[in-house]
Amino acid sequence: MHETSIVNSIMKTLEQEFEEKKLNTLSAIYVKVGKLSNIEPRLLHNAFTANNYCGTKYHHVKFHVESTEIKIQCLHCDHITQITDYKFMCEKCEKPSKNLIQGEEMLIHKVEFDD
Amino acid sequence: MNIEKSTKAARGTVQCENTNINLLKANDYVAEIIRNEMKKSNTLLINITSSAGSGKTTLMQKTAEKLKDKITLAVMVGDLETERDAERIRESGIQALQIVTGGICHLEAQMIHQVLPEYKLDDIDLLFIENVGNLVCPASFDLGEDYRVTLMASTEGDDKPKKYPRMFLTSDMMLISKCDLLPYLPFSVDAVTKDALEVNHELEVMQISALKDEGIDEWCDWLLEKIKQKQNN
Ligand SMILES: Nc1nc2c(ncn2[C@@H]2O[C@H](COP(=O)(O)OP(=O)(O)OP(=O)(O)O)[C@@H](O)[C@H]2O)c(=O)[nH]1
Ligand SMILES: [Mg+2]
Ligand SMILES: [Zn+2]
Repeated sequence: MHETSIVNSIMKTLEQEFEEKKLNTLSAIYVKVGKLSNIEPRLLHNAFTANNYCGTKYHHVKFHVESTEIKIQCLHCDHITQITDYKFMCEKCEKPSKNLIQGEEMLIHKVEFDD
Repeated sequence: MNIEKSTKAARGTVQCENTNINLLKANDYVAEIIRNEMKKSNTLLINITSSAGSGKTTLMQKTAEKLKDKITLAVMVGDLETERDAERIRESGIQALQIVTGGICHLEAQMIHQVLPEYKLDDIDLLFIENVGNLVCPASFDLGEDYRVTLMASTEGDDKPKKYPRMFLTSDMMLISKCDLLPYLPFSVDAVTKDALEVNHELEVMQISALKDEGIDEWCDWLLEKIKQKQNN
């Protein structure tokens, strides 16, 4: 739903983190979005592509979206459970848990530049 | 922000690995500022979310009627367009300002921060944010609230918690609203409660009907208790 504003936020963030000269050589962006982040990877990808049609200087930049599974770590037995049916419970000792260790993130985790 | 820049990449490229820049960094930063301001003024901040039309504004009106002689409360209400909801709430005799998002389907911390100067926070015990009616995007945006309360109307069907898990996972309270209609609907309070607790076992659940004034006293007691806790801290 808010994929376009996410793409804008990615570009704004990069513009804050890197100098313009450097950004002119930007070649790839890698983002990670958790299954709980309410971001649909395909739509994010489309939003990025749509953005580039508008003729920005990033039209050749490759955009990779990785979707990560939801995982909790049990506070009682430390066991890590991958959540598939939105039942937030340890599969080993069956105690409920909200201790998310993965799946909520929306991260830029790697960027590449041409030398 | 520390970004580690490594050059151990394929030839011809420079990589920045594991930068882990949070896309909502800016929002979370402003949310923290709001949280600090609320702490200073001892104002309880509650973020009210739901699908469109689940009864948020009606609940705000009813809560205002019940509590305005006991405490000072105010509302800010987000909508895509129109001032209508704020006008409805002002008719109940409390301060209410509209945030028109102009098409954005959620409220962001920055929008809240911009209107805060319009409120005399030092005099306000309880400030509600009525979020845009939508169970998806508002789940991702921290507004600096103390508690997030999600309304789930009996008219909506009882499968919402697992369809919109992020919202229920990040909420503190689920209010099953429009309970006066329960006798006429295929809606199971038990099923929805079970699903919601599977997503978030710490979620509190209450049943209300703002129209018939059912459960509203319990809801108000909950609010008064939370205000007391905040002011004694
Ligand atoms: N039967 C019944 N109807 C209610 C109740 N509460 C609200 N409604 C009706 O539901 C409709 C929507 O109520 P609102 O309070 O405007 O809902 P809202 O969540 O603020 O709506 P948006 O701001 O547009 O998302 C109105 O027609 C209300 O009269 C209730 O407890 N019982
Ligand atoms: Mg409303
Ligand atoms: Zn366990």
